Amino acid sequence: MTTKMELSQQERLARIQLNAFTYLRADWFYKLIEVFGSAENILKQTPMALAESKIISLDSAKNLLKEAKTLNPDEEIAKTEKVNGKILLLEDEDYPESLKTLKEPPLVLYIRGNFNPQAIKVAVVGTRKITPYGKRCADKISADLSCAGIVVVSGLARGIDSTAQKAAVALNKPTYSVVGTGIGRCYPAENRKLATEILDNGGAIISELPFDKPPLPFHFPRRNRIIAGLSMFTAVIEGEEKSGALITAKLALEQGKDVFAVPGPIDSLQSGGTNMLIRDGATPLFSGQDIIDAIPMEFQKNIVVEDSKSKEEKSINIANLSDIEKQTLELIASSELSLDDIVNKLNINVSEASTLLFNLEVKGILASKDGLYSKNKFFSY
Amino acid sequence: MISKIHCTAIKGIDGFLVSVETDVSAGLPTFSIVGLPDTEVKESKDRVASAIRNSGFSFPLKKITVNLSPAKIKKSGSHYDLAIAIGILSATNQLSENAKEKISTSVFVAELGLDGHIKPASGILPMLMAIKEGKGKQINSVFLSYDNLNEAIISKTQPFCPISLKDLVYFLEGNLTADKLLNTTAAISNEEEKLEVHGLDFSEVKGQSLAKRALEIAAAGSHNILLSGPPGTGKSMLAKRFNTILPPLTHDEALEITRVYSVCNLLGKTKFMDERPFRDPHHTISDIALVGGGSNPRPGEVTLAHNGVLFLDEFAEFSRASLEVLRQPMESFNVTISRAKESVNFPSKFTLIAAMNPCPCGHNGQAERMCRCTPAQINRYKGKISGPLLDRIDLAINLNPVKYGDWKKLSEGESSTNIKERVVKARDIQVERFKNSKTTANAFMTNKEMKQFCKLPDDAGSVLENAMRKLGLSARSLDKILKTARTIADLEGEPDIKSSHIIEVFQYRTMDRKGVAE
Repeated sequence: MTTKMELSQQERLARIQLNAFTYLRADWFYKLIEVFGSAENILKQTPMALAESKIISLDSAKNLLKEAKTLNPDEEIAKTEKVNGKILLLEDEDYPESLKTLKEPPLVLYIRGNFNPQAIKVAVVGTRKITPYGKRCADKISADLSCAGIVVVSGLARGIDSTAQKAAVALNKPTYSVVGTGIGRCYPAENRKLATEILDNGGAIISELPFDKPPLPFHFPRRNRIIAGLSMFTAVIEGEEKSGALITAKLALEQGKDVFAVPGPIDSLQSGGTNMLIRDGATPLFSGQDIIDAIPMEFQKNIVVEDSKSKEEKSINIANLSDIEKQTLELIASSELSLDDIVNKLNINVSEASTLLFNLEVKGILASKDGLYSKNKFFSY
Repeated sequence: MISKIHCTAIKGIDGFLVSVETDVSAGLPTFSIVGLPDTEVKESKDRVASAIRNSGFSFPLKKITVNLSPAKIKKSGSHYDLAIAIGILSATNQLSENAKEKISTSVFVAELGLDGHIKPASGILPMLMAIKEGKGKQINSVFLSYDNLNEAIISKTQPFCPISLKDLVYFLEGNLTADKLLNTTAAISNEEEKLEVHGLDFSEVKGQSLAKRALEIAAAGSHNILLSGPPGTGKSMLAKRFNTILPPLTHDEALEITRVYSVCNLLGKTKFMDERPFRDPHHTISDIALVGGGSNPRPGEVTLAHNGVLFLDEFAEFSRASLEVLRQPMESFNVTISRAKESVNFPSKFTLIAAMNPCPCGHNGQAERMCRCTPAQINRYKGKISGPLLDRIDLAINLNPVKYGDWKKLSEGESSTNIKERVVKARDIQVERFKNSKTTANAFMTNKEMKQFCKLPDDAGSVLENAMRKLGLSARSLDKILKTARTIADLEGEPDIKSSHIIEVFQYRTMDRKGVAE
């Protein structure tokens, strides 16, 4: 439906302007172009004239023109350039090939930071309500992939998304965030620091939405198609049976891409979705190597062979632990335990248990949240 | 004719002497009370008139003016009745010269019934204490209702307790011997009630050893504590048993509380507050009710919890205004309420126990039940407890539900008596430590005292550095950590703080620890 052609500057501005209407779907848009010749012409029409084309309803036409007119395209470009970003149109040479084949490709992409279309990209997504297990896994898989030179793509959301991207940033590796706001904003606000770190480490923040667009609920399922679209594979770490992560997985399958899922405990709500994916044929994901192995031969040359274990992980030497520490670890390995559980199971007092858990925590072996202790890092015996 | 009778009034929780001046002169029959009386005092007119008539005296049909002096301080309460009645009788010469002389060195504090019966008043204890403290040197006898006898005995005053106005006049005229009105049989005995109040014991709480330990530390050092956990984990159960492990009150402390309760008319059958108060206001309480206030300032819950415990259940459900007003009393241990004409001071040295759920639905962080709250809701819920308020809380712990299987296996917990023994020992160490200062417990240490008594152990440097880095503890919380570590050391009878004490405190600092899933 797209024809190769150089767009005039005026036409570019008009298309950026029309993109302000967030419900504008690519297929409508190109049908409108066919009828009216150019985006510039579309903007000159009355809503009635647009509706007469029978492509969009009168209401949509009204909203399309109304929203387009509230956006100043020159300003959009200026703001984007100010943050060292760029605006790509679907017709542009460096617009990512993998998105062009989507059923609904984004008409406009705002990209901030350093985006490399050639890099091998894998989506690492999951629930916002992360469990310690999910945290360990996201951390490990993302670190494995990043070390192999694969770029982790995620959504900068709370939970799995930010854990995966933090892991990449911690290794100074690039990672791409496809966000549900304009690139001039950050949602959730607590990830502002992470967003800066992503940009500092050669990563990118990508959005199809106008520069200052606030986070609206319907933006998020739509941006998931871009996450899946940019990536070669999609890895779901944790997700409830009905969750955004599963939408991403479904979109990836629709796009004909392999989905990986981390198996989890069958009684964990957050693993309900991933376990279901595995039953439905997704590849169980045990480590980053599973994904690396699945990368087609022609791309294998891009894979860096590096020891994927982070420094911290290497420093954990289980053998050096005392007997009681090993015992504690065995208890905690299978589930989250509170200090009370340790007190009861090991038959020690609160004071002793405090010291025991503190030592394990500062060694980086355990992590605590809300009074519950769990394994901090992914390691096996 | 004119007469002058002594009575007392309350400002804040302090009593002071008031003189009731009565003038009965010719003119149209009117009865007015001046000297800033409030409605209760004004209604006194009708009670006094009826009481006088019904006691067999005549009520003068003349112009009666009663002045409550000093006239610029607001008066409230019904306890002026007796003094006004005696004033009228005296001013109308219905009393002999002999009786009038007795009156001039007496104070009358009681309400009157229409039949002339003498009824109890509130705030008797601080009023009598004011007389004792020498604010009324000329006073040598006190008349009050029999029901206020206990408070009089607490203040070491021997009052006369006539049953009715008639009795009182008989006595003043010398027709009734003193021993009829002197009653010393009212012994103050709370022993039976004590058993009733308690019946609660820590041994009834199975498991939750961390929470119990934290409460023990809180009791020993008078530290404020925040318990957070899903419903049904025993937060309220633990808090309600906190009183059973607190060290006993000293006599002065008990007197301070009894004064407050006397003013608020809350003494009831308790007579003497030799138990630490435990106040648990509902979360819909207004800020005024919490810290005190009103046009005629009255003590709030923080003052009623003085020398005791203020338990705020559903801490995050309290209005933001109520929570923020807590900051000042928690910092300075008293509340100053200022009005245009006056300002009063109420004591408020309490231990705060706050309990809250981890999120609005209560199940966040639990494996068994799904939390329905959005992250934004949880943030808003937790955000209600502001940083400055959290800064005043030394210990914060998370409680986790005890699984039924584990619960069955658990043996009965330690009894309150055992825990109390350790707490008292630790408190004794503190009393000895702070004998030359105003500080009473570790939680109230000043910076100077901290420097002196909270020396870091030699090997603490690396422990603290590790903790700061790995657990994300802030430097700001260091003071609180040291104070609490001092209490743990006291509990163990150690003269110096050890690293292990500091490490234990980290368990009680969940509020400034980095969580796993941020």
